Amino acid sequence: MTPPLTTRARVLLWDAANLAVREHFHSAGLREVMTPPVVDAVAIEPWIEPVAASTGWLRTSPELAMKRLLAAGSGPIFQIADVARAGETGAWHREQFVLVEWYREGDALEDVIADVESLVARVVELAAPWTMSTIEAPQRWTRVAFLDALAETMPGTVLRGDEDADALTRAVQSLDLPEIRTRSIEARTLEAWTAFFSAWSDAHLDPWLQGKFASGEGIHLVEFPAPLAALAVLARDDRDRRVSGRFESHALGRELANGYRELRDPIEQRTRFACVAELRAAHDRVALPVPEAFLADLADPGLPPCCGAALGLDRLIALAVGATSLGDIALSP
Amino acid sequence: MASLDVSSLKKNTKIEIDGHPYVVVDFQFVKPGKGQGLYKCRIKNMITGAVMDRTWRSGEQFEAANVESKQMQYLFAGSDSFTFMDNESYEQVELSAAVVGDDKWFLLDNLTVDVLFYNDRPVGLSLPSHVIMEITDSEPGVKGDTATNVTKQATTSTGYQIGVPIFIKIGERIKVDTRTGTYIERVNA
Repeated sequence: MTPPLTTRARVLLWDAANLAVREHFHSAGLREVMTPPVVDAVAIEPWIEPVAASTGWLRTSPELAMKRLLAAGSGPIFQIADVARAGETGAWHREQFVLVEWYREGDALEDVIADVESLVARVVELAAPWTMSTIEAPQRWTRVAFLDALAETMPGTVLRGDEDADALTRAVQSLDLPEIRTRSIEARTLEAWTAFFSAWSDAHLDPWLQGKFASGEGIHLVEFPAPLAALAVLARDDRDRRVSGRFESHALGRELANGYRELRDPIEQRTRFACVAELRAAHDRVALPVPEAFLADLADPGLPPCCGAALGLDRLIALAVGATSLGDIALSP
Repeated sequence: MASLDVSSLKKNTKIEIDGHPYVVVDFQFVKPGKGQGLYKCRIKNMITGAVMDRTWRSGEQFEAANVESKQMQYLFAGSDSFTFMDNESYEQVELSAAVVGDDKWFLLDNLTVDVLFYNDRPVGLSLPSHVIMEITDSEPGVKGDTATNVTKQATTSTGYQIGVPIFIKIGERIKVDTRTGTYIERVNA
């Protein structure tokens, strides 16, 4: 057993990590912003529960506020944001945690993916004086299309991203998905795909990723299937599969970041929020207000073409020092 | 009965599944991407002690188990049951021989045990981790054979058969581990 990090060590560690984040983005031309932690509306997501504030909610992410700044002409920006998500407690989850969130203008999702790689390398490097065991940043990063990773980890399962709830449930029968509760075709599709994603991650993707990590590899899972696009634009890939501009980065043993080529269409965005709201209602989740101010800004003046991502800073720091839980590096109990 | 959301699960939460009370002994929360959270639990049946793994998904509900444990004193054995008394209210309850099982060998007169109530019905007991028992019968040890790793059979006042070191004599008292049923040490005076 290694002794726990002292409070002083934790302070130095967080300070160094915050500074590294700022240096990285500043030198890339992004500017730091701060948006309020209490918001009128959060992005309506299937399995992310906001914590109620006396008026409104504690933000689950600074995403909507930052996109409104981009729409108003902020230029490329980043934020080190404290966020809250109700009911998420475990070794690698805390109800309150720190997200690094950033947006670059243009369509170059690869630049945002490269940011993730740089931040991981930088934080692992600066954490060296406090590491509890030998930690190395990934020697190489590989981009794997979501549907290709699926085919590799569940041989014989070939999906195209356009399956509805019934077709998907049949295709991944071995995962024993829960009963679908929603009614509309769109919500049923979303419900089936999110349930599938959790079950597949747990049973197949995680073990596969652990093997990659063991050989010094980091994985960007790219081109999420359309039903799991969240707030990313849709696309057709070179094999005409229905995918999206969403990626997730996994390294050092865990999922670290999630990013999008951002959806800019206000009508499509409203439809997606409504679809998630139906799913939430069917699962007795709290009804959330539609983020009208954000949708209005998407319509006018409109979001410039941009790509963004969010990275869990607590998690990255904890993994960089070889901790066994987020509590090992926390500044408050 | 109170309905609980799965997000309120913690270690030691007592829950009801198919009419049986379980306690959560281990608990892990995982949440892939923006997917549904999974609560991976190891749970123990509070009556049979059987342990199993269960995974719940975010949004699922379950019932809290109405379970409480009371300190009671062992009074006497009937033909097919054992009777205990609440030291404060003097209320008496019976547990069947099937529920008590092999714990009966450690039920010494007036022993204080924890009796488990589920929906106000006595369903189980938990013994102190060890008890002091008197040896009522045993072969005398062979003279000179004092090695401590050599054991012989002995019988306690409850009729329990136990392996004890050669040097233990009839009338002596020994400390016994109630979880494993094995000899711990001799108790002097």
